[in-house]
Amino acid sequence: MTDVGNSPRFSTRGLALSVALALLVGLAIGFGVTRLAAPGTPADDSAAAGFARDMTSHHAQAVAMGMIAAKKGYAHEVRTIGEDIALTQQGQIGIMGQWLRDWGLNLNSAAKPMAWMPDGDAALNGNLMPGMATPQEMTALENAAGKDVDRLFLEMMIKHHLGGVHMVDAVLTRTDDPDVLWLAKGMKARQTLEISEMQQLQATLAKR
Amino acid sequence: MSISTPGGEQHRPGLVKVGGKPAAGAKPGTKTTTGGGKTPPKAGGPRKPITPIKVNQGRNWGPIAMFAAVGLLAVGIIGWGAWAAFKPGGAGYDWETRAGSIDGITHVTTELKSNHTYNQEKYEQSPPVGGTHSYVWQQCMGNVYDAPIPNEHAVHSLEHGAVWVTYRADLPADQVAKLAAKVEGKEMMLMSPVANLDKPISLQAWSYQLKVDDASDSRIDDFIGALRVNATQEAGATCSGGNTATGDKPLTEEQAAALAQQQQG
Repeated sequence: MTDVGNSPRFSTRGLALSVALALLVGLAIGFGVTRLAAPGTPADDSAAAGFARDMTSHHAQAVAMGMIAAKKGYAHEVRTIGEDIALTQQGQIGIMGQWLRDWGLNLNSAAKPMAWMPDGDAALNGNLMPGMATPQEMTALENAAGKDVDRLFLEMMIKHHLGGVHMVDAVLTRTDDPDVLWLAKGMKARQTLEISEMQQLQATLAKR
Repeated sequence: MSISTPGGEQHRPGLVKVGGKPAAGAKPGTKTTTGGGKTPPKAGGPRKPITPIKVNQGRNWGPIAMFAAVGLLAVGIIGWGAWAAFKPGGAGYDWETRAGSIDGITHVTTELKSNHTYNQEKYEQSPPVGGTHSYVWQQCMGNVYDAPIPNEHAVHSLEHGAVWVTYRADLPADQVAKLAAKVEGKEMMLMSPVANLDKPISLQAWSYQLKVDDASDSRIDDFIGALRVNATQEAGATCSGGNTATGDKPLTEEQAAALAQQQQG
């Protein structure tokens, strides 16, 4: 190393030029690497953003159903699964909302629900996405009492989960965002499990 | 004097511990795996034989390349950090600017109270856009109410981030249907007729209001797109549950208790 300093060709001007050049190239690298990393942020019309917004609305109805079951389910199993679903999905709504904030995107969109899914429009019933209950069905659940609460809740939530898993499947093939993949896979695994759990519960309660 | 904690090992000096750290009492003479027994292979290794001093043999490019690479890496990291720190965005979406650019929108910038009551309230705006309101919110899961709802409950829904679509009773049915299509089944939305409205249609979010004449006015979607959820005073709040009854007076304390009881089954 010392022989660099000893070299007669070595000069202060040369050093200064090299440092300046290194700075410029370094800044370019820093900028470039960041730009290469940045496309990981989903765009406003991406499947990831559409999923975050629409699954939020879809979840919000599951929270409504789950809270009703948690409060006035007749069987203790129904109260427990209602509480579990309501709290889990409300937590997931928070996660999805924070994605949109992190991506600098509106929590809202002027786009119709399901616009990010192929044939999304055909799957819609008004503003209702797959598996969602109609206002009349929700009113019936709200006004139900006794064992009717359990029966309606299990029917409606199984249908709701099936529709939810369908939407999850659509986003799984349309995004490579690691956060979205992580949560979507978790939703699919959990809701698939809960569907069979609720079907078993239907059979159990029918005999009770 | 040493300060010791009442460790179990110190009270059982006879125990021989296999693996892991040796017991505190068994230090002297104990060989440890992590101790300084071994010498790093490099330190004592033979040095390269000293080459004869090269005189004026040109630049030694090895170190230069190394310094350049390290320098580039360092500056690159700094550049990345600087960009990440100062790049635009990352602080959410600028819905306030978008809302402010809607032609004819009203924004109340004076403080709107958020406290709760069972009393009937008088509001500065008609329909109200904020202020003291009922303990109970009006259900806003895309509910389309066919009769007026109490202001005190609707304001609580605005606090949660809902957009409240209101219309004058004489609005033609096809216009009402057009509005309902934007609302029904969409959470964080609710709709109801309002008596004595000075315009055919009025939209409310917390502290924001827009009055229009026609249901096909494109500013309606602009208003909903900018303010639904975003205008919340309680991030993470829900629209489910709450009051679903129509009427012109808010629930009394007794009625609210009865509603809660009914919801408990």
